[in-house]
Amino acid sequence: MSNYLDLSLEEIHTLLKNKTIKPIDLVNECFSKIEKNKDYNCYITLNKEQAEAKAKELENVPVSDDLLFGIPIAIKDNIITKDLKTTAASHMLYNFVPIYDAYVVKLLKQHNMIIIGKLNMDEFAMGSSNQTSYYGPVKNPLNKDLVSGGSSGGSACAVALGMPFLSLGTDTGGSIRQPSSFCGVVGMKPTYGLVSRYGLIAFASSLDQIGPITRTVKENALLLNAISEKDSNDLTQEGKKEEIKITDDIDLSKLKIAIPKFYLNDKIDKEILNKFNEIKSLLTSKGCQIDVVDIKYLENSVSLYQIIALGEASSNLARYDGIRYGYSTTKFTDINDFYKATRSEGFGPEVKRRLMIGSYLLSGANAKVYYEKALKIRHAMIEEFHNVFHAYDYIIGPTTTTLPYPLGANNDDPNKSFIDDILTIPVNMAGLPALNLPIGYSKDNLAIGMQIIANRFEENKIYNLANYLEQALNLGGKHE
Amino acid sequence: MSNYKITVGIEVHVELKTRNKVFSEVLNDTTAPVNTLVNEIDLGYPGTLPSLNENVINYGILTSLALNCTVTKHMHFDRKNYFYPDLPKGYQITQLNTPIGTNGYITLNSGKKIGIRELHIEEDTAKSLHQDNKTFLNFNRAGVPLLEIVSSPDINSKEEAGEYLEKLKELLLYLEVSDCKMEEGSMRADVNVSISKTNDLGCRIELKNIGSIHEIKDAIEQEALRQEQILSNNGTLKEQTRKYDASKKETILLRNKEVGNDYRYFKEPDLPYVDITDEQIETIRKKLVLLPDERRKIYLSKGIIPINVEKIIKNKEYSDYLNNFIDTDLDFKVASNLLLGDISSYLNKELISFSSLSLDKERFKSLVDSLSSKKISSKILKEILSSYLTTTDSIDTILKSKGINLNDNLSDLEAIIKQVIIDNNEAVLDYHNGKEKAFQYLIGMTMKQTKSSFSPQAVKDTLKKLLDN
Repeated sequence: MSNYLDLSLEEIHTLLKNKTIKPIDLVNECFSKIEKNKDYNCYITLNKEQAEAKAKELENVPVSDDLLFGIPIAIKDNIITKDLKTTAASHMLYNFVPIYDAYVVKLLKQHNMIIIGKLNMDEFAMGSSNQTSYYGPVKNPLNKDLVSGGSSGGSACAVALGMPFLSLGTDTGGSIRQPSSFCGVVGMKPTYGLVSRYGLIAFASSLDQIGPITRTVKENALLLNAISEKDSNDLTQEGKKEEIKITDDIDLSKLKIAIPKFYLNDKIDKEILNKFNEIKSLLTSKGCQIDVVDIKYLENSVSLYQIIALGEASSNLARYDGIRYGYSTTKFTDINDFYKATRSEGFGPEVKRRLMIGSYLLSGANAKVYYEKALKIRHAMIEEFHNVFHAYDYIIGPTTTTLPYPLGANNDDPNKSFIDDILTIPVNMAGLPALNLPIGYSKDNLAIGMQIIANRFEENKIYNLANYLEQALNLGGKHE
Repeated sequence: MSNYKITVGIEVHVELKTRNKVFSEVLNDTTAPVNTLVNEIDLGYPGTLPSLNENVINYGILTSLALNCTVTKHMHFDRKNYFYPDLPKGYQITQLNTPIGTNGYITLNSGKKIGIRELHIEEDTAKSLHQDNKTFLNFNRAGVPLLEIVSSPDINSKEEAGEYLEKLKELLLYLEVSDCKMEEGSMRADVNVSISKTNDLGCRIELKNIGSIHEIKDAIEQEALRQEQILSNNGTLKEQTRKYDASKKETILLRNKEVGNDYRYFKEPDLPYVDITDEQIETIRKKLVLLPDERRKIYLSKGIIPINVEKIIKNKEYSDYLNNFIDTDLDFKVASNLLLGDISSYLNKELISFSSLSLDKERFKSLVDSLSSKKISSKILKEILSSYLTTTDSIDTILKSKGINLNDNLSDLEAIIKQVIIDNNEAVLDYHNGKEKAFQYLIGMTMKQTKSSFSPQAVKDTLKKLLDN
């Protein structure tokens, strides 16, 4: 079998351009890798016939200077793809074939990228270990007994296994960064409002963002450039202000970096903290000014997140009633019974738990006591971040509190998945961009990641620091 | 009715006739073939997001201003969550906390002001059609923009309710924001009725799905009677939703109101705040010239008789046309008679609309002038109207082509009249005895002899001169 997918994007592009290889070679290689790695359970739906047809079609199209031309990509299954089954890993949408493309999918198609298939995930993106999927969990690419993280578990694992090396995930409370950390890949949660959400199956509308998961920082920036065009269909989106450009000569001595005290707390695994401190020392030695700062409300962010995300989710998922599409019950007495049975049978336990909590939080007087109060504190938290970015270029910290844990562990603890996300949730609450960068391995060879956070729409800054560290650590794309 | 005081509050929903739906770019036309004007947004498909039709906001501002409301300059949308087959997203996008207009009023003819508590924008649901134990859904209506106009409980009789609704409908028609057809559902009213002997309001009963303003008035009367009977028999009322059976003339229970109906409202996170500028409001305010009540005043002052004023107001095409002449010396009384009389008959006969005539303003004015100066009689008008409306020929040309001779040789006329006086001794005697009818009779006899070829004014003047000599 060929190994073109292990080459860099530039190398592949040159081979395509001088006709040494054709897009179909990449597609075939990708599908045989997927077949070989079937037990990781990365995919829900493969787009084999369409992908092959597209690859053949591209043979008649001149190869442009676009590095993404003819490159295979896979898409998380909560992003709508026309004529390609989209389930959000739920029995509720087990047969749902959309009639339109998400805006990001349209953009990928405009770049002549080839969609390989739809990636496994937690059901409706609710979970952080990919174990709530109706289609079963995704396994960790570095150790099959461990979780991949979630909810974009399939997206992170597929990239780690190079099948293919680019994917799209979504992040509501850490769902790109946490599995990227567990799988040892680069994952970006962009600024809320950078990427169009049109065609993203909503979990929590005010928090959801689509973002790229890749082997390297540069490839990540390239893919983000492609998907962050302005979309008039999403009124909460602004799109990119300018193309992201990475320079290889960044002046570290001028950088001011903050580490929230909360990001060094004792709930965080010692091995993770040690690795993170090595990075901190490296940056200090290069002349960065690094201060530990206090950011208020960070310790409340999980509670705020539960109230806001679950409240919004309870409304966003109301449309799954079995009337127009998706799963419908066959046994019912009247319309209310039909709703009850369809939703009881169609949703998994974690989704139902969250919908019940969300409905409760918005009911009657609760809306004022919880939801509106949470929005106020959220606003205060945004101010806190704003103040930090007045004085600092970046906020950094570990991405996760733990290393990947065994499949099946903590399944009986509904709070576990939220606690997993205490370091990633604040970023969503403030609408900031943040990237997971792999920074090394534990003694058991498990991936460790750090987060680089910047002010709104400063993805460019994040990529430049991440690129420097990636080069310095020499880890990019090397995980077998 | 007895010593109970009726209190009525009315919630009106009107479909706005913007070109497109409110949250998608699909055309807004509820008469199109079933489920042909539908896209993924209207169906509430996963992943879809609402966009916002600016025209709906502008219609909302225009209506707010016409109803004397304060326009909310910083507003958002809210989600109203409930399950129903006609509600594709499981929630309706509406405005709970920041309605586009607040604190307005409509003035009744008595001078009484009926408060408008608020006016808000929301989306219509799909339309359900029940047939043979099955329900069919037409999503053409899903996402059609609605304005909900909520009155204060200031209405105290069925007559006031009727007048409030007529005035509101008239205003919305004049603003051209809705076609307000109750029978087709583009205007719907929910009526809250309570009775009380004190200043405290009684138990509120909601009447829904009533098909016309006339039936609403009947329903209010019947419902008040029903409530009075229960109360005077020492019964108690419970909050209910009822409908009206026009054939039986009684209201019928639909459902008892549940305590704490919980719609789990929260701000719609998919739509940003909408900011309305003063410039935007002022630009729209300029379109507010000449609302129906102002037109009434002008028409009355220009001598149109009250019954014709109302007829003209009812026909906006005529009213708009007449307004072209407000600053001219046009005889509005004659003009209104012409429009409501011969022109209306002509349009009815030909089955065409007034606008399709595209009647030239100069030509209209010269026709009215000729009638007003009695240059032509109403009888001659009938003979020439069709030609006048379908050609560009002048009145004189048409008269000539039809062989009608508007004779202005007064000596010819005098000769004829002298003969009429001789032939109608008795009538002449009656005239001299002060009988006005006799004068009319002599005019008639003269016209008969002249075959109407002299102008009525000339006949009248000459006859009078010769009789009084």
